[in-house]
Amino acid sequence: MALLEISGLKLVAHAQGRSVTVVESLDLGLAQGETSVLVGESGSGKSLTALAIVRLLPSAVELAEGSIKLGGRELSSLPEREMNSVRGARIGFVFQEPQAALNPVMGIGNQVGEVLVRHRGLRGRQLRERVVELLAAVGIPEPHRRLDDYPHQFSGGMKQRVMIAIALAAEPDLLIADEPTTALDVSTQAQILDLLRDEQRARGMAMLFITHDLAVAHRMADSLVVMKEGRVVEQGTRDAIFSAPRQNYTRHLFAVSPRLSSATLPAPRMTAGEPLLAVRELAVHFSQRGPRWWGRKRILAAVTEASLDVHAGETVAVVGESGSGKTTLGRALLRLQPADSGRVAFLGRDLFGLPPESLRRARRELQVVFQDPFASMNPRMTVQQIIEEGLVAQDLLLAPGARRAHVARLLEKVGLDPACATRFPHQFSGGQRQRISIARALAVEPRLIVCDEPTSALDVSVQAQILALLRSLQEERGLAYLFITHNLGVVAQLAHRVLVMHQGRIVESGPAREVLFHPRQDYTRALIAAVPSLP
Amino acid sequence: MALASTHTGDDFVTIWFLRRLAYVLPILLGVNLLTFALFFVINSPDDMARRHLGERHVTTAAIADWKRAHGYDRPAFINADRSGTAVVTDTLFFTGSVRLFSLDFGRSDGGRHIAWDIRQRMWPSLAIALPVLILELIIAVPLGLAVALLRGSTFDRGLTLLCVASMAISSLFFIIAGQFLFARLLRLIPISGFAEGWGAIKFLLLPVMVQVLAGLGARVRWNRTVFLEEISREHVRTARAKGLAETRILFGHVLPNALLPLITTIVVTLPGLFLGSLITESFFAIPGLGSYTIDAIQNQDFAIARTMVFIGSLLYILGLLLTDLAYAWADPRIRLGSG
Amino acid sequence: MGLHFLPTDLLFLGTLMLGLVYCRNVARDPLARARWAKVLRSVGGGVASLVLALHVTVAVLDSVRVQSENEAPLTLLDHLLTPLRTGVETTYSAPFSTHAYARENLESAPGTWVRDYPRLQFGGRHLVHPEEEAAGDIARRSLRGAAIGLASLGLLTLIINLVRRRPPGRAWRQWFEPAWRWHWFALGILCLGVGIVGNLAGGWHVLGTDKVGQDVLYLSLKSVRTGLVLAVLASLITLPIAVVLGILAGYLQGWVDDVIQYLYTTLSSIPGVLLIAAAALSLDLFLSREVGALHSLALRADLRLLALCAVLGLTGWTSLCRLLRAETMKLRTVEFIASAQALGSSPGTLLRRHLLPNLMPLVIITTVLDFSSLVLAEAVLTYIDIGVDPSTESWGNMINGARLELAREPVIWWSLAAALGGMFGLVLAANIFADTVRDAFDPRLDPAARGTHGLA
Repeated sequence: MALLEISGLKLVAHAQGRSVTVVESLDLGLAQGETSVLVGESGSGKSLTALAIVRLLPSAVELAEGSIKLGGRELSSLPEREMNSVRGARIGFVFQEPQAALNPVMGIGNQVGEVLVRHRGLRGRQLRERVVELLAAVGIPEPHRRLDDYPHQFSGGMKQRVMIAIALAAEPDLLIADEPTTALDVSTQAQILDLLRDEQRARGMAMLFITHDLAVAHRMADSLVVMKEGRVVEQGTRDAIFSAPRQNYTRHLFAVSPRLSSATLPAPRMTAGEPLLAVRELAVHFSQRGPRWWGRKRILAAVTEASLDVHAGETVAVVGESGSGKTTLGRALLRLQPADSGRVAFLGRDLFGLPPESLRRARRELQVVFQDPFASMNPRMTVQQIIEEGLVAQDLLLAPGARRAHVARLLEKVGLDPACATRFPHQFSGGQRQRISIARALAVEPRLIVCDEPTSALDVSVQAQILALLRSLQEERGLAYLFITHNLGVVAQLAHRVLVMHQGRIVESGPAREVLFHPRQDYTRALIAAVPSLP
Repeated sequence: MALASTHTGDDFVTIWFLRRLAYVLPILLGVNLLTFALFFVINSPDDMARRHLGERHVTTAAIADWKRAHGYDRPAFINADRSGTAVVTDTLFFTGSVRLFSLDFGRSDGGRHIAWDIRQRMWPSLAIALPVLILELIIAVPLGLAVALLRGSTFDRGLTLLCVASMAISSLFFIIAGQFLFARLLRLIPISGFAEGWGAIKFLLLPVMVQVLAGLGARVRWNRTVFLEEISREHVRTARAKGLAETRILFGHVLPNALLPLITTIVVTLPGLFLGSLITESFFAIPGLGSYTIDAIQNQDFAIARTMVFIGSLLYILGLLLTDLAYAWADPRIRLGSG
Repeated sequence: MGLHFLPTDLLFLGTLMLGLVYCRNVARDPLARARWAKVLRSVGGGVASLVLALHVTVAVLDSVRVQSENEAPLTLLDHLLTPLRTGVETTYSAPFSTHAYARENLESAPGTWVRDYPRLQFGGRHLVHPEEEAAGDIARRSLRGAAIGLASLGLLTLIINLVRRRPPGRAWRQWFEPAWRWHWFALGILCLGVGIVGNLAGGWHVLGTDKVGQDVLYLSLKSVRTGLVLAVLASLITLPIAVVLGILAGYLQGWVDDVIQYLYTTLSSIPGVLLIAAAALSLDLFLSREVGALHSLALRADLRLLALCAVLGLTGWTSLCRLLRAETMKLRTVEFIASAQALGSSPGTLLRRHLLPNLMPLVIITTVLDFSSLVLAEAVLTYIDIGVDPSTESWGNMINGARLELAREPVIWWSLAAALGGMFGLVLAANIFADTVRDAFDPRLDPAARGTHGLA
């Protein structure tokens, strides 16, 4: 008999007087000692399913139909008191954001310990010893000395380890992990995935693992459930699905998931002559201050001694983990962020030495596309106004008719209906907004576009479309890209050359084939080894 | 990104506190300059003299005498007639404003010793303000917590409605209605006045009650918002996923985090604690600092008004410093010097 | 005949014009329009706006002065309320009373004098036997007023239906849909109230008279203008200071930020009432020296009101400035501003197209939240003698005067009740309005701003 049995689950969300079914007729079985992975894009209902099992659904979402049985006991109708002795004791839960999921003003020892107090009744020395054991098991170094430390004193990965210790504390039968590595860097992700896999095997637990990433799913799963828009598309054993997916959607997901393989790399380009963009020894420091007048100023070094060249028509990828300084580098060379030292030459002109008016003119040929499709457009402007913003700023195509025609052409170019021009950003999806952002950058006919994680907020299928668009624009117009990303799979799709950043420095650079498949630096090697791969 | 400079431990707290103290002085100097400008530049001492001596039939000689008697015959910033440090010290700004820094408040325009008056009058003010603060906390925090927990219920809606309505009532209404009901109709307590020692209690009862009631609506609503925000945080969901009891979640996770915003509102009331409530004291004829200030304003005694402004802002800044200290105590992210 | 304006009249009416300009801008901006529609559609926001609109109408009528031949200029409201304004008694009288509060020596028959309560000059004058006829007369007038009220409700509904261009059959039913039922109900109550009170006031002192025999209803209606003018003009002075300094500090940072932070920390470190008192006191001295006895009493009182607005405005900008600074700093790094900068937009364009429109919600929320505290502050400040001029009709002056009246026997409660009730009505409406505005404008609660209902 399966440990967890879900049948006919239906979840309904209520918002502004309307009801939307977000999960429908979901059946799922999970046996002792087995790992099942729920995989799907955003809006597939995978996280809500997980929350429904422990009955922690947001207040707007309601369990409308279906049964959830744990070890034969129906959970959905259990009184709250009894449910409380299931949560934490028989089901452990690991959330996505370790930063937010831990109480910031409570020592981590207590946060782990209170589970043991609640469900095991441990006290005093026994409790302390057990907490130290648990923290040691999840890989916290010197756990006996860190019991009174607070979450902010740990890195993201370490916080997630503490979270896992909390989930494992009462030795649950079932561990639910909801995108536990999505907020983490790739090298940390690999460690956390190993930890979860090892603990699951060692304890013989069942694990329900939720992710949007097929490669992660492949690494973790015994069995796989593919979800789309609240319904199960396909389920079966991992090997069956990965070797012979039966459904179109599953096959489509496999096709668009980026992989780190040399097959997709674009042909190397000959780069000769004067570079379009030349950055020499760029350094950026941040100073921050609190809300009070006497607040302390803090100085943070974000980028040190960064040098790079971008030639016409090529894509240079800047790769790094969070905090590596890659985004600051991009903003600084666009002069959106003051730099402390260094030189940036664009088309032979020194960008840092330009007076404001000439700088405004020079910006025409150096454009940017940002990460967040929701923050990158003023919600009060129409698509027409957004795309022609550059024309207005640069005094180009002054006749309104010419501008309208130009915007219509651009919208078609990026794959949108020209009739969209009168609509507002909130009427579009994330992928469509990224297309609008690209059209806005293209409007002034730049030579180089800095793309700052343009696909990180998108689902894989949308990401594939945007990458294809960027590639075709490059072929057509000879555009150069400085492509900033943390995702090595994406880099392998379009980069000619790759720079690797670590702690504000460029640690390795070279042609994409060299850096990705024959890295010389240890850091790069570790980074690439950590990327989960698809078969 | 690496933190270029961090301090840890006691060393950090000391430096942190000294830095803030160094910033307080310019602010106090600014406050003094502002009040000086208000009292001496917009209005010349001649105006003040005329006010005190009566608008009509005042000879220039009488004005000069009055100014000399009160020390207002000096020049504003630079006294060219004197030599040495007296060039700066024997001026209106120095004697009227800078002297306040040494807590030397001098004499009022009416000739009374201000420091002595303040020492006498701070106790009645504290006797009202402290019970008010404590009662407000005792009533408003549990109420706020209760409505936040029962959000959406009839109790929540009813109490919120009551709060909104009470926030629309002028504080004067509570005072007048209280006096009318308890002192005039029921004759339970005297309408106004004050007595020494324990006899003061019957005079303090009504003012304290009135002030608590007048501030309660706003406070309960604020607490409700604070608690609602804390309850919706993700770490509270973690606590639920641990299977903890509701009380444990409340007192172990929600309350400690809600302390931070609560501290802010409490410490900022510090100047009010000391200065008393201007209106309440004056209505109930309680000889505290609040009524002292009102009397000074009504008698246009600038020396007292200046002093009270100075003390008020001094206490406000001390309140801010205390808030920061309290934050550091309640929030490990600040206490431990990063984040 | 000619129009005559005092300084606060011009400023108040001018501010309302600015408000109209803002409304026109809102009509063009779909996001702002959706937010305001949300405010007006909600029960609390809709009803509160109705009440506020009524107050504004009274205040506007009371701000247009007509200069007549040999009299001091009178406002439109004065003309509208002529019976109330001119129906002055000798002293106090209770609401709906026919006789004065105090006994006087009366000539009952030629040569015989008795000490009795005299009949009022105005209240119930039309009755021959007031004791028997009063109740009947009041009931008759109330009924007639109610009828007028209901009739005007019907007319208003018809007009709104016509403006909204709905077929009459459907439109009438629409008022009873849950979304509009309460708005209509509130409109009905307002119409009834105005109708009944208006009709009664033709023959009675509905709220009694005060010490010098002036009608209390008239005084409270006149106080509406004082309260509104104070709150509106103080906000008018606060806004530009707070907006300019807040944006400068947040946008330019560096030493400009330091200076502005120093300014507002210093200013806000002075306890509010003390700062206001000190400033008001100084301004008062200044006024009496500079303006002196040169001008009319009305102008002096008006200048004192203006001075009070200035003091409240000049001391009240710090919290909004602090908020705007933080918000500007946050917005500055938001990607659409960065990308406008990358496109080469000038600082002016950035400010006009991106920063200001996105700071507006914060400005609106803060302004409406502060509005009611300004109305309440008037009474308190008037009590400590630094408020409006004693000759200005205001709730503060009414409360101030009423304090001693409570000690009399029988108790004179009507002035106080009218003042407190009037303030309560305005402040409650303003508070509820502010709450719904905050709910509609708070970006954290706004799904449109994050685009969660896109086409995906």
